[in-house]
Amino acid sequence: MKKAILYLNQFFGQIGGEELADHAPEIREGLVGPAMELQKQLGDDVQVTHTIICGDNFMGSRTQEALDTILSFLEDKEFDIFFAGPAFRAGRYGSACGNICKTVKEKFNVPVITSMNDENPGVEMFKKEMYIFKGGASAAAMRKDVAAMAKFGLKILNSEELKSADEEGYYGRGVRSQIWMESPVPATDRVIDMLLKKVQGQPFKSELPIPPSDLIPIAPAIGLGDLSKLHIAVVTSGGIVPVGNPDRIQSASATKWGKYHIADKYDLIGGEYQTIHAGFDPAAANADPDVIVPLDALRAYEKEGKIGGIHPYFYSTVGTGTTQAEAARMGREIAAELLAAGIKAAILVST
Amino acid sequence: MKLELGNFFVQDIVFGAQTAYVEGILTINKEEALAVVKEDEHITEADLVIVKPGDMVRLVPVKEAIEPRHRIGGGPIFPGVTGDLMQAGNGRTLALKDCSVLVVGQHWGGFQDGLIDMGGEGAKYTYYSQLKNIVLVADTDEEFERYEQQKKNRALRWAGMRLAEYIGSCVKDMEPETVETYELAPVTKRTAEENALPNVVLVLQPQSQMEELGYNDLLYGWDCNRMVPTFMHPNEVIDGAMISGSFMPCSSKWSTYDFQNFPMIKRLYQEHGKTINFLGVIMSNLNVALEQKNRAALFVAQMAKSLGADAAVVAEEGYGNPDADFIACIVALEDAGVKTVGLTNECTGRDGASQPLVALDEKANAIVSCGNVSEMIILPPMETVIGELQSLARDGLSGGWNHDAILGSSVREDGSIIMENNAMFCGDQVVGWSTKTMVEF
Repeated sequence: MKKAILYLNQFFGQIGGEELADHAPEIREGLVGPAMELQKQLGDDVQVTHTIICGDNFMGSRTQEALDTILSFLEDKEFDIFFAGPAFRAGRYGSACGNICKTVKEKFNVPVITSMNDENPGVEMFKKEMYIFKGGASAAAMRKDVAAMAKFGLKILNSEELKSADEEGYYGRGVRSQIWMESPVPATDRVIDMLLKKVQGQPFKSELPIPPSDLIPIAPAIGLGDLSKLHIAVVTSGGIVPVGNPDRIQSASATKWGKYHIADKYDLIGGEYQTIHAGFDPAAANADPDVIVPLDALRAYEKEGKIGGIHPYFYSTVGTGTTQAEAARMGREIAAELLAAGIKAAILVST
Repeated sequence: MKLELGNFFVQDIVFGAQTAYVEGILTINKEEALAVVKEDEHITEADLVIVKPGDMVRLVPVKEAIEPRHRIGGGPIFPGVTGDLMQAGNGRTLALKDCSVLVVGQHWGGFQDGLIDMGGEGAKYTYYSQLKNIVLVADTDEEFERYEQQKKNRALRWAGMRLAEYIGSCVKDMEPETVETYELAPVTKRTAEENALPNVVLVLQPQSQMEELGYNDLLYGWDCNRMVPTFMHPNEVIDGAMISGSFMPCSSKWSTYDFQNFPMIKRLYQEHGKTINFLGVIMSNLNVALEQKNRAALFVAQMAKSLGADAAVVAEEGYGNPDADFIACIVALEDAGVKTVGLTNECTGRDGASQPLVALDEKANAIVSCGNVSEMIILPPMETVIGELQSLARDGLSGGWNHDAILGSSVREDGSIIMENNAMFCGDQVVGWSTKTMVEF
């Protein structure tokens, strides 16, 4: 028998209305309010063992305390799946469902499912991190929303094939994956269909919706006078590493970066350093790694007083095939190190 | 320009005393065929194997696929590559259908090589598992690149083309079973009915990222890195003017067979005179320098506009850096008032949450997506491996790896494999066959 636990706010947990929104978290054995409907929809193979109830204000104003308390309730419980809500259009309740689902998923690594109306701000806050089903505006939709959560929960528990966000009815989590179409239509036919619709001004649906752009502005330029006081760091996606690639950074689709000490170096010598980047002809970079990490030129500038100095490490990863998300993560990690070292200027060398 | 493709539908392939095609049965004299392969002294070892759909066979590292053909009236099937230059796309070319010559490295693979499972659950990942294939497994003395991740594979690829010509020549005196005719009047000499339809160009962006010659797709033998976009008759493309290169991660690659059969070209032909007026092909490229990308986009947009195109289809042979060319080209066309549909694949990363193309623009609002290079694929061991299984892990195939802290090696001790779709041979079928699409989860 699989086990489930449900989170509710004070209202649906039948404690009371707004005047009891400061209600501290509690856990009850068995079914309270919507838990009964959830149990009914889940059927005989899954048991809803407990209901957790917490006031919306308590969760909103003393969030960490609420989450810690609930985690302590759950520590000795066995459960295979966690539900919260449905929260309909109630903003604080939606945020509470998102917070508790995220925390439970991180701590116990079980599937978490909630439901909110598209106007609930909790959707934007949490949709990338969990399954949030598209719910109704008010409690009138309770049965339907609980049924959707339960149906999907059963699919997960039974290891059934999970379909796309649109087909299943939850808000897309930004995860894109390839599928074979149920009724196969070759790309050629899809192109012609889309082309004719576009030409005729009819509505069509792109298979790759373009998300809003995520450009980060380049920092303002540094004046020459200021430059003479600054230490400069070099960061590259060109794959320059000490020969032998000690950090085993991947030659394509990298998920790792390395930092290499150069405080005692005046030049990167071929044979000591190499590129492991698989996306360009490595001959020039292997012959003289300075073409990617220009240490020789920077040392000259340092000597001339054009720059104040050179950061004792250079940072390196491989850009080819590397995903935007991994690149952004690595960039953030490297930037954090540079900031901690007081670095205010860096050269980012792409290839 | 009028091209007749005369088809012979191969039902079975066997080895025998004489290379011949008789009532659906293609017989190959192995010794004679291998002699053609070994005309190049750089081929040191070579063998031929026949594989068919459903065979429990894994091929890796696969370097190229070519359709056996014969040009009536003389001349090479790949002008400027396997013989003298001549105009492709006119006259009659004979083709052995439902089969291909596959070129497989006997030992060594590279970034651009791929994998084919002819049977089992892995078969769905490539088009070539549906074909009867004559597999050339060979090694060369090209020592300069034996341990290089990036290989030109010149001796092997050219051997494959010679073999395809040799096999294709066995039908030279025969009447084809069916004939497909591809004909377009000159752009300014179309009928009133044709001219009344929306004018459409197909923009192709073949692979040309390597600055050094020898890796990129060739156009009449000319390296696509060294060209600016040019206007072509679609018949030229499907009649041997284009050959595949040896650079792109494999699922995004267009093989020579893909060029010979280009489904998007054939589909536009089908619509010609009915729903569209198919003007022709603008052959662009995918060079890496930003200025070259912008220059190519300028040329494409100008040509489309000068030709009076109302709409365009843009297809890219690649992902990553080439996405910048793909998007720049679509934006340039849209800015010129040409309504454009893009044809591509995506790279969404191990967690599927990465930006699907390196460059994006809201003007690229009509895209058909054929697959995801990042898709993780686990396949059981296969009874027979042709080539060398370890190449998937050892030689830096784009979708394979030697070591991963969590996943281990791409090639496991029991012969099962874990890889990214990236290394499936021409797996995303961006030329138009793909019945895959991308959805959000």
